[in-house]
Amino acid sequence: MRRTRRNFLVVGTGAGIAIAGAVGYEGWRYFAKQYPPTPYDDLLSYLSDREAAKQIGRAFLATNRGFTPANAAAALRKRIGARPISNVLHDELAAGDIVEATHWLLPQTLVGLCALAATT
Amino acid sequence: MPFIDARQIPDGTELTPDLAIIGGGPAGITLALSLANTPIKILLLESGGMEFDAATQALYAGEETGVHYIALDATRLRYLGGGTNHWGGWSRPLDKIDFERREWLPFSGWPFPREEIEPYFSRAQQLIEAGPFLYDKLAEGELPGPLLPMGKGGLYNSFFQFSQWRGSPEHLPTAFGHRYADQLKRLPNLQLMLHANVTGLRLAQDVRWLDHLDVATLSGRKFSVKPRHTVLACGGIENARILLASNETMAAGVGNQNDQVGRFFADHAIPRDTATLVIFGGEIAGYYKATKDAQGAHFRATISPTEAFRRDRQLLGALITVEQHVELDPLGRATVETASAALGVDAGNGHAYSLGVGLELAPDPDRRLTLGNTRDALGMPRLKLNMTIADGDLTRYREVLNELGRQLLAANTGMLRIDRHTRAEWLSVMDWGNHHMGTTRMHEDPTQGVVDANSQVHGMANLFVAGSSVFPTYSASNPTLNLVALTLRLADHLRGVFR
Repeated sequence: MRRTRRNFLVVGTGAGIAIAGAVGYEGWRYFAKQYPPTPYDDLLSYLSDREAAKQIGRAFLATNRGFTPANAAAALRKRIGARPISNVLHDELAAGDIVEATHWLLPQTLVGLCALAATT
Repeated sequence: MPFIDARQIPDGTELTPDLAIIGGGPAGITLALSLANTPIKILLLESGGMEFDAATQALYAGEETGVHYIALDATRLRYLGGGTNHWGGWSRPLDKIDFERREWLPFSGWPFPREEIEPYFSRAQQLIEAGPFLYDKLAEGELPGPLLPMGKGGLYNSFFQFSQWRGSPEHLPTAFGHRYADQLKRLPNLQLMLHANVTGLRLAQDVRWLDHLDVATLSGRKFSVKPRHTVLACGGIENARILLASNETMAAGVGNQNDQVGRFFADHAIPRDTATLVIFGGEIAGYYKATKDAQGAHFRATISPTEAFRRDRQLLGALITVEQHVELDPLGRATVETASAALGVDAGNGHAYSLGVGLELAPDPDRRLTLGNTRDALGMPRLKLNMTIADGDLTRYREVLNELGRQLLAANTGMLRIDRHTRAEWLSVMDWGNHHMGTTRMHEDPTQGVVDANSQVHGMANLFVAGSSVFPTYSASNPTLNLVALTLRLADHLRGVFR
């Protein structure tokens, strides 16, 4: 490749974007809340904000003492499978599978995920 | 002709109209207007005058027991125009299902289907001045803002229309007394008498015939009216009182040979702030929160269970309204963020509102008016109301809210929080519609109702009842439009009776 001014600009811009992206990613990792690994991380990854989910889960668990994380996780994995979480929730809503958690009417799976988050 | 003041009628006078209408509320005035220019000589007897008067209003005082209810002298008005002097103008026709006999709802069913009063809705709509008869058809036309996307489910966007007295300052709801006073004065076949209190229905020896009415004024005058036919149109509470109190000849009262008069009292339960609605996509259209104008109507949206859903789930009527904007607590915000993100919806511009509702109650024979032990200034026994609300009435509404919550989430529209749970919580926010119904219910079987399908009192040859006291089941719809339509139907029947 000839060393032209145009090529120099293209390569330079690309490198700049890559560096900015890397810094941004590392920065996000640095500032974002870190959680110790749990046996349920595959499920908890469906939650956009684990802290918010924990609040819902705690309130739900306060009135639902029989919750067993391992059993719940197994049931959730089976229910979700490889489908996008929004599809799972919409299927539940279509089937009428809603529960009242913290007085809100929510899809059953979402409440299960929040309750799981609260136990971690 | 000018209205007559009963206080000027000499003691002992006997008046002999063809038809006496007792009560100058929306039913009585509608009946008089619709029999205009017929050969029928009508005398309309109104207890009050043209304005509120404390001494007359005090005749309404009574006693309430059971679930907290509004004082009987505060829940209605006793002067020409009756309840329309303080109504909010909320209007909506009864649905087909409201007339049906439902196996799962004891005491349900009218003696005729909705089609029977449909021809009268158009004229009734004119009388209440609520614009073109559109209601749920409003959704098919242009509206000032988007409808709430509801998706598939048991609830749908429906509509109230509002009475708006075109000639009044600030377009208040039509107050029948003032609105129609001039028209009533022009009717050649009508005498309208103010300050005339009917204190008793006196039967002939043949107890099937109403011989005359005792009339008294608070100034002490007493006279009688001897009509060929009489229509009782005093409202859902006072109709029962006059029948029960007219117990000289028949100890249980007139029309009460089967102990039905006064039973099945109903009103619309209006629990406040029952739930919180969150709309993900921003502010809800203004016509959900307040009245707006479109397509010639003054209207407001409501969210209501469909008839199919009501049949399927065995539910009663409920008309849900969006009330004030509310702020969510941190847990509420967390819940909305978590749910919307999981559904793949942006709720960054979400808004939250409290929900109100008007609820239909199941018919209950023990929700009842009986005569009390005290008497009013005219010597009439005062009433005692035993008010009830069943747990089932609240449970049914709870099921409606569950479906609304499910439906909104499924449509990616929003979500719902239930804010009342225990019976005590529900009762603590309970208000009432002041819509008195059911106490002289319509039923073909005299053992199950007070009037027949023509509003004629069972066992009485010349006595009829007009108004919402004849409703055997009630719907969640406000009664005025419907009782006016039903009164127009009665007017048609009476034309035949006098022919």
